[in-house]
Amino acid sequence: MILVGERINTGFKDIKQAVLDKDPGPLREWAQKQAAAGATYLDVNLGAVSADAAVMCWMIEQVQSVVETPVSIDTNKASILAEAIKVCNKPPLINSTTAAQEKLDAFLPIAAEHNASIIGLSIDETGTPKSADGRVEKAGMVLAAATEAGIPPEHVFLDPIVMPLKYMQDQMREILEAVRQFRLFSDPPPHIICGLSNVSNGTTHKKLINRTFLVMAVGCGLDAAICDVTDGDLVDAAKTAELVMNREIYADSYIKPASA
Amino acid sequence: MQVADVTEKWTNRINTVTLGATREQGGTRGRTVTVGGETTLPFLTFEGEIPNRPAIAGLVADVVPDGWPDVLTAAVGDAIRSPAAWARRCVDDLGVDLICLKLLGADPSGRNLPPGECAKAVRAVLEAVDVPLIIWGCGDENKDNEVLPECSQAARGENCLLGSATEKNYRTMAAIGQADKHKLIGEAPVDINIAKQVNILLQDAGFDLNDVVMNQVTAALGYGFDYVYTIFERVRIAGLKGDRHMALPQIANVGWEAWKVKEALADEDVLPGWGKLKERGPRWEAATAAGYLQAGADIIVLAHPDAIKVTRESIGELMG
Amino acid sequence: MPLTAMQVYKNLPKSHANCGDCGFPTCMAFAMQVAAKQKAITDCPHLSEESKGAMADASAPPMKLVRIGPPGEAGVEIGQETVMFRHEEKFRKPPALAVTIAASLSDEEALARLERINAAVFTRVGEEIGVRLAAVDLEGLSAGAAAARVKALAGKSRAPLVLMSASPAALAGAAKAVADRKPLIYRASGSDAEAVIGIAAENKCPLAVHADSLEALADLAKAAKDRGVEDILLSFDGRDTARSIREITRARRAALKKGFRALGYPAMVDVAVDDPLKETVLAGTFAAKYAGVILLNGLDGAELLPVLTTIQNIYTDPQVPNTVEAKLYEIGNVNENSPVMFTTNFSLTYFCVEGEVERSKMPSYVCVVDTEGLGVLNAYAGDKLSPEKVVKTLQAQKVADRVRHRKLIIPGLLPSFRAEIEDISEWKEVIIGPENASGIPAFLTANWK
Repeated sequence: MILVGERINTGFKDIKQAVLDKDPGPLREWAQKQAAAGATYLDVNLGAVSADAAVMCWMIEQVQSVVETPVSIDTNKASILAEAIKVCNKPPLINSTTAAQEKLDAFLPIAAEHNASIIGLSIDETGTPKSADGRVEKAGMVLAAATEAGIPPEHVFLDPIVMPLKYMQDQMREILEAVRQFRLFSDPPPHIICGLSNVSNGTTHKKLINRTFLVMAVGCGLDAAICDVTDGDLVDAAKTAELVMNREIYADSYIKPASA
Repeated sequence: MQVADVTEKWTNRINTVTLGATREQGGTRGRTVTVGGETTLPFLTFEGEIPNRPAIAGLVADVVPDGWPDVLTAAVGDAIRSPAAWARRCVDDLGVDLICLKLLGADPSGRNLPPGECAKAVRAVLEAVDVPLIIWGCGDENKDNEVLPECSQAARGENCLLGSATEKNYRTMAAIGQADKHKLIGEAPVDINIAKQVNILLQDAGFDLNDVVMNQVTAALGYGFDYVYTIFERVRIAGLKGDRHMALPQIANVGWEAWKVKEALADEDVLPGWGKLKERGPRWEAATAAGYLQAGADIIVLAHPDAIKVTRESIGELMG
Repeated sequence: MPLTAMQVYKNLPKSHANCGDCGFPTCMAFAMQVAAKQKAITDCPHLSEESKGAMADASAPPMKLVRIGPPGEAGVEIGQETVMFRHEEKFRKPPALAVTIAASLSDEEALARLERINAAVFTRVGEEIGVRLAAVDLEGLSAGAAAARVKALAGKSRAPLVLMSASPAALAGAAKAVADRKPLIYRASGSDAEAVIGIAAENKCPLAVHADSLEALADLAKAAKDRGVEDILLSFDGRDTARSIREITRARRAALKKGFRALGYPAMVDVAVDDPLKETVLAGTFAAKYAGVILLNGLDGAELLPVLTTIQNIYTDPQVPNTVEAKLYEIGNVNENSPVMFTTNFSLTYFCVEGEVERSKMPSYVCVVDTEGLGVLNAYAGDKLSPEKVVKTLQAQKVADRVRHRKLIIPGLLPSFRAEIEDISEWKEVIIGPENASGIPAFLTANWK
């Protein structure tokens, strides 16, 4: 399971303050904490705090100063991406492009040039599709364009766009069905990812909902998630789901952390 | 025409394990042997590197193995009566990379030698040759728990490979390995899930997985070989894909197992038309070794001089 | 291979992008339907002939089934493999050993060697294995002599023939003489490649092709196919071991994983060397690594058995448990006082028990119960192993006639069997053995006599 640590995001107060103060402490701390928890990538999101690529680069450098884990560059601006990708020590995961032609034209060449992976959201300029078919359509456009641009399917992460369960209960089955269909796109199939925490927005039992949705999505073929990697129960459930899917080899003590 | 690109992108490297310690490193070995470190499947150098060639360990027993056919004991020669002479024969005449000393004499259903006697054999072999040593227990769990600590101590600082740590004895083995600075063989009974479990347990006991070589319990050709072959392959693939508990070098104790089966014991009088045992036996052993090399073996233990020679030659060609 | 949505999408006509004539709003939606097998590719009304061909190719089996020899039982079939590793499913068609008959032999010597090839059949674990092709070397022979040699051998051969020569004239003469037997023409290579392809095409025979690079090999295979040769083998030199393993692997991956048609054929590997031990190792190596035909000199059981057993093991279906024959096994020099124990017919269980009994140096009888290949606990859970079945097996194998005592050692995992076996049989002293085979030596030392 590819887990992307979501925590280095200026949407969180401590990170926002740290970026405003140029205080590397909280960024490094979360980098280490998430890396120790087994994150495959660490998402770095500048949000609306600044439009200056240099700030994004500074954030990435803080992360890289303490851990080896590659980063996920979380931006919708090609100009920031172009600068940020240059400071990455390892090929990053780009978060993200949509199926809008303008976006594809801007993002895909950068990904191809740096041997990076890229998340493709199943939306375009007209918005988020409501049906599984609509999601498949948009995701397919991204994958086809990525292949054209020379990015192999194993570097493409398709995202069906997860909605909050509380407000859009009718969307859940459409999302899972889209995940199932994404697997038919190619052989080897592309990765399938979601921003998990969105599913539990506004709910009381956030962790339980995250965990349950993740397990069900893995059952449909999801193999990556942007999530709270420090939630031990979540990570354990993900590992167990991987065993059920026969993607990992079982051992009695399989949920002991590898670094123990 | 251009052929479709089929290069696999493996994400992980198999652990590198170095055996033996020179004088500068606190031992007395003339050389060390390094195995593992692959970033690709066996011999597929077009998509990764194989920094170390598979190593051959010459099988030596502390007492004369009594189940072996004459064609094998005769090929080893008089040296079979002394572990030191036997080890020298393997190193000087056959050019093995290491010696695998099987503490057969300890077996309670055989000679049942006391731990002190076994430790003597260990010391004798260490003095006789300067290559790294694998010290392998007799296979009786209780007896090995007595014998291995003493033998480990006798080889203290020599950075040997001790066999073997199982689900039951891993704590003891981890402790003696750490105390005397040896590496360990992690062993599972033809079971990939237990193989992984043993590694997790060793790690939990504080033993570094960079110091472990996996043993799936080798099966001879024709007798469960297919199961073990596939476990070797699955372990290697999982390791290359990033499962750190599976990214370990693997050892195949071919010499010990191959000479236990009918095809390597019975001559033409019992198996008419199946060829002379003198020829069939070493070929059985060599073919078993060839199979495991293709599945991902990093250390092959061999007994018959002819099997050692041909396997050494073959490894050279496979790495070419 | 099933088509993926991307393969379909790529081939849909850009000129009619999202026209909707197929009933779906977009080409992507239609491609998904085809990938999910809900629609046929031909439901797109604007598909070009070229695209139709490309997709028919892509959906055909990735590696062709190749046939050498006449139709029916006498023929050899190889190829049609689907996976790179046996655990992914299974390997399907075991490689055929082709043993050489040298051109330098006299007619009588050649015939004698052919008779030995005919006789090179063995039975191992109930399966017949052996040499399946006779490779007639025609090197240096004229067309007439080559034709005479193969004609003399063909009628007497149990196995289909391989015709080997660097001379197109000799191959042409020989092929014509025995064309009805569909021999394998070995091989199209170098400057004579086209002539040899012509011989295979004309006589409708299978053909091996060889080139110095995989790219050139793909060209040659395509050229043969374009000339109408259906059954093609990719020929490699096994003595160039490292390179051949890499190229065979790349060819197989290209075919199986990328649908690369020009290399979608089984491999033939020449491992013939003078040293039989070395030849054994090479043959075993390529038995594991993807050969469909292995060409060798060795004809002695001492060489063939290890190679054939490697093939037997590698081509075993990993999904089906291996079994040993359910019978009474004598381990060591048993007598009327020897221990008696039972176990299952799952081969691994039996081999463990057998090995440990040997280690104990206590000659013993092992009664193997037919549990349909399941180990002790699985057999018990699946109702394949019960006290009644054990007692019936003991009776059928007449175990009581072999020993004077009535003590029976049972697996430690089945303690509950003791009372019932004692109840319903003459075995009145049932002893619960160790849970693992590894405990057998200690157990016998402590508990027997």
